[in-house]
Amino acid sequence: MVAAASIDAVASTLPNSIPVPVPHFIAKLGCQLSSLLTLLLIHIPGGTQLLTYIKKSIHDDPYRAAVEIGLIVYGILYWLAKPKRTKKSYILNDSKLLLSEREINDLIEDWEPEPLVDASILEEQRWRLQSIPVIDTVTDDTKSLKQPFINISRDDNKEFYKNVLNLTSHNFLQISSLPQVLDVAKQTVENYGVGACGPAGFYGNQDAHYTTEYKLAEFFGTEGAVLYGQDFCVAASVIPAFTKRGDLIVADDQVSLSIQNALQLSRSTIYYFKHNDMESLENLLIELNESEKLEKLPAIPRKFIVTEGLFHNSGDLAPLPQLTRLKNKYKFRLFVDETFSLGVLGKTGRGLSEHFNMDRSSSIDITVGSMATAFGSSGGFVLGDHIMTFHQHIGSNAYCFSASLPAYTVLTLTKVLEIMDQDNSAVNKVQVLSKMLHDFFITDDQLSKFVEVTSDEQSPVLHFRLNQSFRDLIFHYSMDSLFETIIKFQQKNSTTRFIENFENEEKFLQKIVDKALIKHNILISRNTIVMKHESLPCLPSLKICVNANISEKILVDALANIKESILHCCQELVPKN
Amino acid sequence: MTYTSSAATTRVKLIPPKELPVLVQKENEYGSLTSKEFLLETKRLKSKSLGPPIMDTPPYYIVLITYLNYLILIILGHIHDFLGLKFQKEKHTDVIEQDGYAPWFSKFESFYVRRLKKRIDDCFARPTTGVPGRFIECIDRISHNMNDFFTYPGSTTMCLNLSSYNYLGFAQSKGQCTDAALDSIDKYGVQSNGPRTLIGTTDLHVEAERLIATFLGKEDAMIFSQGYGTNANFFNAFLDSKCLVISDELNHTSIRTGVRLSGATVRIFKHNDMTALEKLIREQIVLGQPKTSRPWKKIIICVEGLFSMEGTLCNLPALIELKKKYKCYLYVDEAHSIGAMGPTGRGVCDVFGVDPNEIDILMGTFTKSFGAAGGYIACDKWMIDRFRLDLSTCSYGESTPAPVLAQIISSTRTIMGQLHPGEGAERLQRIAFNSRYLRLGLQRLGFIVYGHPDSPVIPMLLYCPSKMPAFSRMMLQRKIAVVVVAYPATPLIESRVRFCMSASLTKEDIDYLLRHVDEVGDKLFLKVSSGKANVEEDGRPPRWSIEEVLEKTPQDCKYDRFFLD
Ligand SMILES: Cc1ncc(COP(=O)(O)O)c(C=O)c1O
Repeated sequence: MVAAASIDAVASTLPNSIPVPVPHFIAKLGCQLSSLLTLLLIHIPGGTQLLTYIKKSIHDDPYRAAVEIGLIVYGILYWLAKPKRTKKSYILNDSKLLLSEREINDLIEDWEPEPLVDASILEEQRWRLQSIPVIDTVTDDTKSLKQPFINISRDDNKEFYKNVLNLTSHNFLQISSLPQVLDVAKQTVENYGVGACGPAGFYGNQDAHYTTEYKLAEFFGTEGAVLYGQDFCVAASVIPAFTKRGDLIVADDQVSLSIQNALQLSRSTIYYFKHNDMESLENLLIELNESEKLEKLPAIPRKFIVTEGLFHNSGDLAPLPQLTRLKNKYKFRLFVDETFSLGVLGKTGRGLSEHFNMDRSSSIDITVGSMATAFGSSGGFVLGDHIMTFHQHIGSNAYCFSASLPAYTVLTLTKVLEIMDQDNSAVNKVQVLSKMLHDFFITDDQLSKFVEVTSDEQSPVLHFRLNQSFRDLIFHYSMDSLFETIIKFQQKNSTTRFIENFENEEKFLQKIVDKALIKHNILISRNTIVMKHESLPCLPSLKICVNANISEKILVDALANIKESILHCCQELVPKN
Repeated sequence: MTYTSSAATTRVKLIPPKELPVLVQKENEYGSLTSKEFLLETKRLKSKSLGPPIMDTPPYYIVLITYLNYLILIILGHIHDFLGLKFQKEKHTDVIEQDGYAPWFSKFESFYVRRLKKRIDDCFARPTTGVPGRFIECIDRISHNMNDFFTYPGSTTMCLNLSSYNYLGFAQSKGQCTDAALDSIDKYGVQSNGPRTLIGTTDLHVEAERLIATFLGKEDAMIFSQGYGTNANFFNAFLDSKCLVISDELNHTSIRTGVRLSGATVRIFKHNDMTALEKLIREQIVLGQPKTSRPWKKIIICVEGLFSMEGTLCNLPALIELKKKYKCYLYVDEAHSIGAMGPTGRGVCDVFGVDPNEIDILMGTFTKSFGAAGGYIACDKWMIDRFRLDLSTCSYGESTPAPVLAQIISSTRTIMGQLHPGEGAERLQRIAFNSRYLRLGLQRLGFIVYGHPDSPVIPMLLYCPSKMPAFSRMMLQRKIAVVVVAYPATPLIESRVRFCMSASLTKEDIDYLLRHVDEVGDKLFLKVSSGKANVEEDGRPPRWSIEEVLEKTPQDCKYDRFFLD
């Protein structure tokens, strides 16, 4: 009981006064005011006495009286200026409605709500549930399994696959599975426990969190960093923390759902430019600046360009040099979601800016990253300058109103960054594999008859989808027509969206995934799009992810097998004439 | 010595862990029970509906002084702003336009933060290290230039912990939970492979979800990696602008964010006011959607189980009655109550003895009682099946990492009595006793305390904003870590200190706490209760002496007759 014993000794050594850092004159002013107020209160019944008092005080000390009267007047004004809550009367008793109690009861009786959740299309979509893989570690031979091979089960253990090559993991670098990193994690759990048990403002932020924020900022060359509990929430908390009505956001029209949510919550005016089309962006910026000049606003609105590093839905690369040029020219701030590009782009994995040989702090204003992708820990973070990160610590909802991350997750990240600082072999490996993967698909004539690749050669996630002619032939729709349907659904405000053609194509893509899994023991995946949330153009696609634990030989063999699966499924569909 | 705010001096450095004997360390994280007397088995309320909460009010002059206090602060703030922006431009670069860029935050928006909160910044976000258990190790810091920046000499102070949400004391670095977490690191690693529908699901996820569903008495459950994110990305999976959400005015930001994202219409009712709620529901069913006047597609009532700033419980029996009568749906966020309340730790349903299936959707977090991280949603299986496909977090966000799941599983199983039988029950009985003891003790000393008798969150009212830093600093001198909160988290004048009770504290720790709160309360003139919210004694406001309180309260607090509500 060391601590408890020492704690008892405290009471005797306590100082008598409270260390309050308030200048002396304020304390004095406060005393004077309260004494005045007491006096006032005593005298309120007798107005004459009050008057004599005021006269006397003006006579004795006119300066003080002036200050006091000023204060009182200000107080009254301030109170009056408070927005009054308009009291809404109970509208049912409104004379315009003239409903009798019985009619009201009838109306209430008659009201039939819809079910809480619309399950009408659940059966049609059950195949989606059944195709979710569950990593299995119960089987005895898991110990002998080596990364990247895993055992999986699907559909409530009805299907079981052993020794499957995992080409879906987002943990690209695999540094966090090194023994020295796991040791740090274990050591931290032994010193800190698991949970931090409180939000950052209330003793939840530990030395571990501060250290990791410094380390992140240092590693990426920015002034500050902020940690968040979950990567998907970051953008949707950061953008609304800074924007309000009247601010401007110019966004790429293929940003992923987390940014779409952020834009919805931002309250700002939102414009879209064509995906990665810098001309479209520049025209838009010129137009916006002109109209701003015409409006003669009292203050400059906050203006942001919002885009992604490697796009979540297509694997494209954002052209940072042009974006930076435009944002500087038109005085916008640049927001880049680098969930998929940090850790894999650039020579040492420092992301988009390093890839283009630029300085992060001068080219991107807000960077959003995930600790759960390339770095293999969990949580999300934001990088930027001092002022921006300072204000996030105070005003960003997902930071202020959520518990801090478990200490082990952040110290794991610190260790991973440390290793990356010394050794970029994992980054190199991923880049080599990414390029191999990309080249294989781009150069294959047989495949290009059916599918097209949308991702960049640097992307560790290869996105490919059916090419438009094939889609026209089999599924009879295009990105534009799908987008029109989405807009129609949106206008009608329906939450349940079932688009048959889209659904059929997804089912077909799943067939390719199943084929590769069942026949060749290779796990690839669909890009999971939740149609009901999407509000921007999108198309179904398949993803193949590489990671540093896969050897080139394994990948080459796997690619041949994947190719066979794709060709097999596609050729089955082509009408024979 | 003069300091400058250079990066080298203002960094919080990693503090090397103290070398303590294992027993001492265990005791520091979770004090062992000193006597069986200090346990309390709570009883169910037998579906009894709560009356309207009794809120004590301070004397009129306290209200007046509080307003005056804010007035002075605001005026000084404005003067400071005015002069600062005139003569010290270089110090205010963050709020003025700079070569064509708008400031990140406008002067007006950040006024409260810069001119009011900053004065007492030393009371917030104190860095800590180690386990946030019975004691919390605060890293010492020195404030410079009126909290402009802090420097860290590298020393630490062990404080009695009344600030962490460690209700059941599962924040520990030894024991079955830690062992489980360590094993899971060996077996699964620390990474999350990807979103749940992609490759983020492991057998551990399946196991944890089944266990939580069983624990809560629901058909199925889902687990997410962050509590905030659970709420913030939940409502848009099944609501649209033709649906109505009726929300308690004090609901957590995460719920509000989630509802806003769904586009549903929101109506607010006064905190826990069931008459106002019924009125509102009737009105809305009759009026329907604004403009079109079509009936609402569905109406969902959102409340929290235990409100974290007030310590009040939602009036569950009344809510269920209303929900049935008007065919609405009920959503209860049990972030603070799950684990911490009820005879078996199953949250508000357990407290009221209500069948959990009466509530459509149960939500909760693991950051509090379970000493882990993340959140859950529990409801019927057919709904969960739909949610697995429709929730954006499942398809786009990270999945919960294995060590966190291991902590969730082992702590839940401890509460259920499957692991170390008896330990879970003891934890529950300890927190029940501790909460009631501190609450009744404070009430008898004469403080104004809000909330339900069994609530482990015990807010004590301070009113004047200037008493917040004074209280916090004086408590820190006495080696007690407390959380003070003020506007905008509370109504303007109701600044308060929030004690979060924990099963890891011993009765003697609470004695220590009461003694010091008593002393500080006298110095700061905080004993202002009128006795309205206490059991009537002799018609006078309660002002017991500390010795009397310590002598009688440990026994008295076990009986309901000493509490109103
Ligand atoms: C009612 C309520 N819901 C949700 C949360 C968020 O939980 P977490 O800290 O796990 O993100 C909190 C946390 O303070 C809360 O009080």
